[in-house]
Amino acid sequence: MFALNLNSQNLPYPDPVHPIVVHFVIAMVFFSFICDVIGYFTRNTRLFEVGFWNMFVAVIAIFVAIIFGQFEAGLAQIYPAVQPTLNFHTLMGWSLGAIIAIITAWRFVIRDRHPLKLPPAYLGVATFLICLVFLQIYLGSKLFWVYGLHVEPVVEAMKQGVSP
Amino acid sequence: MNSPLIDSLGLRFGANGLPYEVPLHPQLVHLTLGLFIIAIFFDIAGAIFPIERPIFKFLGIPAIRSGLFDVGWYNLLGAAVVTFFTVAFGFFELMLANPPINQKSDWGLNASWTMLLHGLGGVLLLGIIVAMTVWRGLQRYYWLKNASRQVQWFYLLVGISIMGLLYLHGTLGGQLGSEFGVHITAAKLLQEGANPNLLPK
Repeated sequence: MFALNLNSQNLPYPDPVHPIVVHFVIAMVFFSFICDVIGYFTRNTRLFEVGFWNMFVAVIAIFVAIIFGQFEAGLAQIYPAVQPTLNFHTLMGWSLGAIIAIITAWRFVIRDRHPLKLPPAYLGVATFLICLVFLQIYLGSKLFWVYGLHVEPVVEAMKQGVSP
Repeated sequence: MNSPLIDSLGLRFGANGLPYEVPLHPQLVHLTLGLFIIAIFFDIAGAIFPIERPIFKFLGIPAIRSGLFDVGWYNLLGAAVVTFFTVAFGFFELMLANPPINQKSDWGLNASWTMLLHGLGGVLLLGIIVAMTVWRGLQRYYWLKNASRQVQWFYLLVGISIMGLLYLHGTLGGQLGSEFGVHITAAKLLQEGANPNLLPK
C-alpha cells in the first residue's frame, strides 16, 4: 500500500478540510430556513428562491463533507472516550446526507409546480432538519473542541504514549 | 489569560477555559464564511448567466438571473448581520484564551501574535463585510436597478480577493485551536497531566 506523509496533526495536508466544507452545509441549511420562514410570513416570494438555492448548495456540500469527514475520522487518534460521539456523528452525517437530499428534491418539485407558494408542511420538516443539524454541529464540535481530534498537542501526546 | 480581572467576572470556567462546553465563535464562523462566500459565488453566477444558461438547461434546473442575484444579495446581508456576533464572541473567547507561550505555529508566529492578528483582522473583516454589503445594496437598489447585470465586475473582483483574506484569517484562527490547543478540553487536560480518557462520553 502507499504511505501518506502525515503532519503533526495526523493529516496529509495542513489543516482539517471537513470543518471547512461543513461551513456550506451549516450556513446554507440555516439561511435557507430563515429565508423560507421570513418569505412565508411576509409573502416575499423572492426569498423562496434564496431558500431553494441555499438548499441546492447544501446538498452538494454535505456529500463532500461526508467524504472528507470519513477520511479525517480514519486518520484520527481515537481513544475510548471519543468512540461513542464519533460513531453517533458518523451515523448522523450519513443520515443527514440522505435527509437533506430528500428534502431538497421535495423543494425542487415544489418550486417547479408552485414557485410562489411554500406549503407549511415543508416548513415543519425544515424545522425538524434544523434540530438535527444543531445536534450534529454539537457532536462535531465535541470531537474537536472537547476530545481534540487532529489537535497538535493531543496528537503529540498520544504519539508519546500518553494514550489511555 | 488567568488574571484576577477574569476571576472578578465571577463566571464558572470549565477545563477549556470557557464558561460553556464548546466555544461559540467557531460555530458563528460557519455562518459568516458560508454566507459570504456563497453570496459572491451566486453574484458571479448571475454575472456570467448567459454562459451558464445552457448548463442549467441541460441539468433541467430552471434558473432565472434575478433569482441568482437575490441569493447574492440576501446571503451577503445575512453575513453582515451575523458577523457582528461572530466578532463579539471572538473577542470574548480571545480574552479567555490561555495558550502555551513557548510554541510557534506553522507560520512561525507565536500564540500572542496569532491572537493579536486574528483579533485585529476580525474587526477589519467586519468593516469590510459591512462595506461590501453597503456597496452591493447601492448597486442593487440605485446604480444598476434596471440593468440585467446587477453587480459591477470590480465588485466581484474585490469579493474574490476578500475570500483570500478570509482564508488567511481563518487559517490563523484555525491554528489557535489545532496548533496551540486554545479552548480545547483534551489539550488542557494533557497539559495538566490528566488523562483525556476520563472525559465524559
